[in-house]
Amino acid sequence: MHINQEHSRVEVVQLPSPTAWPLVLSLGIALLCTGLVTNLFIGILGLMLSICGCVGWFFQVFPHESHIDVPVQVGDVQVLSSRTLQDRLPVSEMHRKFLPIETFHIGTGIKGGIAGGLAMTLPAAIFSLIKYHSIWYATNLLAAGGFVSWANASDAFLSEFHMRGLLAAAAIHGLTSLLVGLLYGAMLPMYPRSPIVTAGLVAPLLFTGILHSALGIVSPILNDRIDWFWFIISQIAFGLVCGFVVNLSAKVRTAQFRALPFAVRAGIHISSDAGPQEPTEISTTDQKNEKRDRPE
Amino acid sequence: MATQSPVNAILDETTSSSTHPSALQILHDWLTTADHKKIGLMYIGYALLFLVVGGFQAILMRIQLAIPNNHFVSPQAFNQLFTMHGTTMVFFVGMPVLFGFGNYLIPLMIGARDMAFPRLNAFSFWIAAFGGFLLYFSYLGAPGLSGAGSAPDVGWWAYAPLTARAFSPGHSTDYWTLAILISGIGSIGTAINIVATILCMRCPGMKLSRMPLLVWIYLVMAMMVFVTISPLTAAQIMLLLDRYLGSHFFDTQAGGSAVLWMHFFWVFGHPEVYVLILPTFAFANEIIPVFSRKAVFGYPAMVAATVAIGFISLSVWAHHMFTVGMGPGANTFFVLATMTISVPTGIKIFNWLATIWGGKIHFTSSMKFAIGFLFQFLVAGLTGIMLGSAPFDWQLSNSYFVVAHFHYVLVGAILFMLFSAFYYWYPKMTGRMLSEKLGTWHFWLFVIGFHLTFDLMHIPGILGMPRRIYTYEADRGWMMWNLLISCGAVIQTVATLIFVYNLIWSYFKGPVAGADPWDAWTLEWSTTSPPPSYNFAVIPGVSSRRPLWDLKHPEDPDSNYE
Ligand SMILES: [Cu+2]
Repeated sequence: MHINQEHSRVEVVQLPSPTAWPLVLSLGIALLCTGLVTNLFIGILGLMLSICGCVGWFFQVFPHESHIDVPVQVGDVQVLSSRTLQDRLPVSEMHRKFLPIETFHIGTGIKGGIAGGLAMTLPAAIFSLIKYHSIWYATNLLAAGGFVSWANASDAFLSEFHMRGLLAAAAIHGLTSLLVGLLYGAMLPMYPRSPIVTAGLVAPLLFTGILHSALGIVSPILNDRIDWFWFIISQIAFGLVCGFVVNLSAKVRTAQFRALPFAVRAGIHISSDAGPQEPTEISTTDQKNEKRDRPE
Repeated sequence: MATQSPVNAILDETTSSSTHPSALQILHDWLTTADHKKIGLMYIGYALLFLVVGGFQAILMRIQLAIPNNHFVSPQAFNQLFTMHGTTMVFFVGMPVLFGFGNYLIPLMIGARDMAFPRLNAFSFWIAAFGGFLLYFSYLGAPGLSGAGSAPDVGWWAYAPLTARAFSPGHSTDYWTLAILISGIGSIGTAINIVATILCMRCPGMKLSRMPLLVWIYLVMAMMVFVTISPLTAAQIMLLLDRYLGSHFFDTQAGGSAVLWMHFFWVFGHPEVYVLILPTFAFANEIIPVFSRKAVFGYPAMVAATVAIGFISLSVWAHHMFTVGMGPGANTFFVLATMTISVPTGIKIFNWLATIWGGKIHFTSSMKFAIGFLFQFLVAGLTGIMLGSAPFDWQLSNSYFVVAHFHYVLVGAILFMLFSAFYYWYPKMTGRMLSEKLGTWHFWLFVIGFHLTFDLMHIPGILGMPRRIYTYEADRGWMMWNLLISCGAVIQTVATLIFVYNLIWSYFKGPVAGADPWDAWTLEWSTTSPPPSYNFAVIPGVSSRRPLWDLKHPEDPDSNYE
């Protein structure tokens, strides 16, 4: 450390003065309780200590909070820790990697989720009509996961219209669609190469795979009667529509954008599919290509 | 090449007086102190003491269970062992060690000189400490039925009606109730202090949106302490009334309700898990970015997820009661609520991974433990989701599967992250570095021992071994698993002893740390190690979430980006 003695000066710091009264009070309360399990005298001792502690503490802070003065000498110095002086590969002139300078607005995901959720009902309705000749079958089947009393319901029962079933299914489906939509809004910028394939095919297939192995635990009745072919179709419908809606929306600029040098912002040229965590290439007007990389 | 350019700053030049105080003087200093750092260290030291005690109890239980038909300890002593182990680890290790770190770090991180109520702080520590001593005094107190003292033996849940006078004569249950009641006062006191300190004592420029994530998380944790400790305290008072004055809150035969106790206990008990694990999330949020050399990914999402966890965790308690027969409506609600909590938790895990991703990772001992935490917390969360679905829970409730699951959380996640925090902040607290070589031994031995014990512990659970069982017949097929589990416990013990040796050895012989050994970014590293009693000679001002980054890189400060 380099110390510039010229600027040394003395100041005073006030700290609360040490005191034993909190210790006395806590011991008193503890002994008061111990009196209950041992004998009366310990309880009385505890009571007396508690009273002493309260009084003592009171006069610690009243009328003036008691404090001690600690003189400190301060000076202007140069802070440098010798332990951190290790060689590191110089990766770039700038210290940081630029995180996404553009991203989707959070509302985009919600919009996508609603659209996808609506789209998903279509294959489900077609499936119900074709296989059970009733539009309500898929609805009731989903709702049955939430009603234990429906666990052994017949196909005929599930084909009828039930207000309860419609409400429960709407709640389950609506909430799930919103959450998945939010997830898409957050994740799609991370998979910039071909978001439609990711959102429309890969994610639905992965999700179906997870559900296929887990559904027996989550909702046994659904697991018994689900038609995986139609399930995948409706998942893909969700993914395509949700992904499409999300992708359609304009991106908003993050705070990182403001931090870019003016020249970059003015003549900005970014490959349009740059996502987070991807070192972004930014060409400035003076043709200096800087690969933004990890800090340091 | 130096990566750090010298920076002009105002620094403390006070020369410490070189007089050596007498032992009595030192003792007096510690007993009367109102300094948040000393109180924090006392919390931590006290928790470490009880960690050793609780660990010793675990070893005794594992010896008892290692082979079938064993009579290493008596059945009564065994009941006391698992009761005391659970109570100790939750109330007298987990809470104090986390309060200790919070006490020590929060004022330093927000640029304050002390907590908001320094005397309340001392009071809270001492009363929590006396609670622990009272609990253990039960071993010496009035002789119990078995002649082995009257330590509590009703399990750490202390379900009614086992705690009624008729089934638990003597004073053992009273010791348990009173100890928890007293330590609860301390928890509330410290929580008040944490909230007041964070809301009122931040240094200039430290907006809420610039606070280190550790401070944010401790704020949420302290709020949760208010809403969880209160029902627990209420229940303990009701139990005392039942036992001393003949009321019938939990006495079903006289019109009370045993299930009432379960609700009271778990409305405390589940959020308590999050009270314990949130601070370790806080440590991860400070440690993982520093050793990845990147700012934490998704700061606002982390804050939002923390607050969400705080709220959701208050509405999941009855997933501990699926087998009670609450009815399909309640079961469904608590299954769904339990599943929901995996969303904010998942956000956190993804954010930590995104922080590490593309970073320049430094595999220090601290970072190794943090990565162990990430992996094991994920596994613990997955078994948690399994148990969170009622039909699965009906099969495995009260089995060793459950024991394995929550030890995966408490040891695999919480304890691992605590070790990480020790390696990270020990230099700040003592001025010396912990030995990295011993740290590496500690890490690998602990990982091996941990997985040997707690991975395998799931299996006897699935095979039907109930928890709290005293011993078992040889033909059950649990024998080999239990032996291996006990071997793992021994390995963990060895690893922990290495850690304790490291703590002591490094205090005297470790390399001198300097103010900022990790090239970190939060304010506690801007003062000396250990910090002076007043923390900062001049109260700092900040303009971003990483004030020391701004100091070290004045040409490219973080404030441009937030
Ligand atoms: Cu729980």
